[in-house]
Amino acid sequence: MTPFDLVEPASLEEAIALIDPDDPDVRAIAGGTALMLMMKAGVFSPKRLVSLRRIGDSFSKISTTTAGDLVVGAMTPLSAIENSPEVLRHAPVIARTMTRLSNVRVRNVATVGGALAHADPHMDLPPVLIALGASVTIVGPSGERGMAVEQLLTGYYETALAKNELITRVHIPALGATRAAYFKVTTGSADDWPALGVAVALDMVGSSVKSARIVVSAATTKATRMFAAEKALIGKSANDATLKTVADAAVGEAEILADVRGSASYKRELLRVYAARAVRAAIEARGGAHQ
Amino acid sequence: MSTAARTINFTLNGRPVTADVKPHHNVVEFLQSQFALFGARESCGQGLCGCCTVLVDGKPVSGCLYLAVFLDGAEVVTVENLAEPGKLDLIQDAFIECGAFQCGYCTPGFIMMSRALLVQHPDPDDQQIRDYLTGNLCRCAAYPEIVNAVKMAARKSKAGSTGRS
Repeated sequence: MTPFDLVEPASLEEAIALIDPDDPDVRAIAGGTALMLMMKAGVFSPKRLVSLRRIGDSFSKISTTTAGDLVVGAMTPLSAIENSPEVLRHAPVIARTMTRLSNVRVRNVATVGGALAHADPHMDLPPVLIALGASVTIVGPSGERGMAVEQLLTGYYETALAKNELITRVHIPALGATRAAYFKVTTGSADDWPALGVAVALDMVGSSVKSARIVVSAATTKATRMFAAEKALIGKSANDATLKTVADAAVGEAEILADVRGSASYKRELLRVYAARAVRAAIEARGGAHQ
Repeated sequence: MSTAARTINFTLNGRPVTADVKPHHNVVEFLQSQFALFGARESCGQGLCGCCTVLVDGKPVSGCLYLAVFLDGAEVVTVENLAEPGKLDLIQDAFIECGAFQCGYCTPGFIMMSRALLVQHPDPDDQQIRDYLTGNLCRCAAYPEIVNAVKMAARKSKAGSTGRS
């Protein structure tokens, strides 16, 4: 890695003030696992990193509001989320997703805020959070604002954050009777970056689907909702014919990219299979984290 | 703005230490160059293989993806500290007894991960062992023997702690 300066502010305000919004060579670093990969590959050569480590304790709590929403501090390491009884109770799909997200060492260091701000489309949490209707609190020089995770992610490694805005908290609404599943589909080892991710969250009335969110990631430039597929599912009971229509709709609308993990046509077939499996898993409240 | 080294204080293998570190150096570079500790080594350089595993505040991390300045104030344990000089701890013994390596390059990482695993799951089943060690690669493919070694270490540890042999 090329040499850089590193500053370790002791407050959020100080951290924000240290980030020059007009200088792309100055960035915040949380756990740093993803940023280290970019720096080691020479893709990113910062002049200065603003470490959030010293303010991490104030933003690494997991709590439940009186309304039943789960609030996770942005600096919470992924392993703390994985091992949290509150997360397991509130959103078991998140705890299950963690078991195949990279490996123990990375989960001990990487943070949820970092994973969202980095906006790598291969990450496992963003599609799950979008399916669950999660949002983030963002703080910048002019104050605080909230935003749905769905709106936060705008493109390939791109977010709606200004360069001097930081995510402070992630909010996951009370899920009630919502059922959810995430399938991480890898073509290498089980904990490799996925070729495809499919997250589904839905509510049922009797045997028919009342509302649904279907999100595709990894094969697309960003975690993306499949609106046509959702529409094909809502109001229907999930028989084989419906699932085929849902899967075909997803394949029709997803803009699938080729990469080292598979050709676009191969990933389209993966999506055809896994969209249906993820819907079925959500309905049956199994929720595979990995296949 | 300064890329110069700064001074950090931390506990290394039970001893309080002070060292100068440059902001862009990772933990592996730092431990090798300043403390002549070569057990954690960089292999894949991407956090995938586990050869660079060290324990920071009791948790295993990839030394190759961890900035050395972040060790300031932390408690760091490397494979060199598992047992007194000239002795082996029971995980190391179990790896030898089970033949859980051939070339040995990945072994320090597997042993550090196994130690962390046994703290979290003192009596792990096969699935827990495989899940925990999934981020460690052994190119000699001694995986079945490694799983056996972890189970043997767990048994010996349990027997030791209950006073049975």
